[in-house]
Amino acid sequence: MKIKVTTKILDANERIAEENKKMFKDLGVYVINLMSSPGAGKTSLLEKTISALKDKIKVGVIEGDITGTNDAERIDRLGVPVVQINTEGACHLDANMINDAAKELPLKEIDLLFIENVGNLVCPAEFKVGEDIKVMILSLTEGDDKPLKYPLMFQESSVLIINKVDLKDLLDVSIDKIKKDAQFLNPKIKIFEVSCKTGQGIEEWTNWLLTNIS
Amino acid sequence: MHEASIATELLNIAVQECAKNGYSKIDSIRVIIGRATGVMTDALLFAFNVLKEGTPAEKAHLIIEEIPVRGVCKDCEKEFESNENYIIFECPNCGSFSINLLSGKELNITEMEVSNEN
Repeated sequence: MKIKVTTKILDANERIAEENKKMFKDLGVYVINLMSSPGAGKTSLLEKTISALKDKIKVGVIEGDITGTNDAERIDRLGVPVVQINTEGACHLDANMINDAAKELPLKEIDLLFIENVGNLVCPAEFKVGEDIKVMILSLTEGDDKPLKYPLMFQESSVLIINKVDLKDLLDVSIDKIKKDAQFLNPKIKIFEVSCKTGQGIEEWTNWLLTNIS
Repeated sequence: MHEASIATELLNIAVQECAKNGYSKIDSIRVIIGRATGVMTDALLFAFNVLKEGTPAEKAHLIIEEIPVRGVCKDCEKEFESNENYIIFECPNCGSFSINLLSGKELNITEMEVSNEN
């Protein structure tokens, strides 16, 4: 006996991601899925961004890590609502984890929710979680060959933040090559050059954020 | 890609469909996989064959049909096709980056054969 089926195999995740997206939209929450390699500066960027925005809008954060609460503690010190997800081995966040974590946040009060994904330049790009946009960070110390080696992340992201630009004179890295290759993969990608250490470029990024979420 | 998670999901779907239709055993599952998904078919088969044990799909064959990456260029309007295992970024005819993918991102179950144990 043959049965015809027309089910997408990853349907379950996509369905929950759509439900999350609708819930966030109904509550007026703009959601950013923030992705990068380990150590590129996701939490540092959040610290700078939250400090710059917290008098203007209400920010919330979901932290995704394999284990530990270090990042959530850093965000908690800034006085914004934060929930830590421990994936216990999984290399990315999925829609179901976000659905559970979001229930712990006062979503009605939040204008902008950052979901800090697990540090990984590959897998997070494959899974929707219900975000409005994906934002990725590439830090200069990772090298200028990364866009062409990890193309999906650059194709899926609406924004590329190049971090640690204060180190550019110390490294054999071309910011122009990163930009050129990222735009080759994704002609629409919006690029910011920042240093979370010196604060360079943060204002340009937060101004862009404010215009885009309102 | 996440072949083990994909194998788990596809087994869940197949076992549910089988029960829903009133059968107890799955003999084969046919899936289509686009080459732009990054799924490795060998790894998927391996994961499937390990995970199927102890389920109604224990004796099932997984039949994988791979779908080539096909697209159309928004500038020169020509269609193109590739059997490479990853997404295409550039129109092979005119070099434009504005392309629409027509196929290659599929990851679907299309058909199953089921029976009742005698």
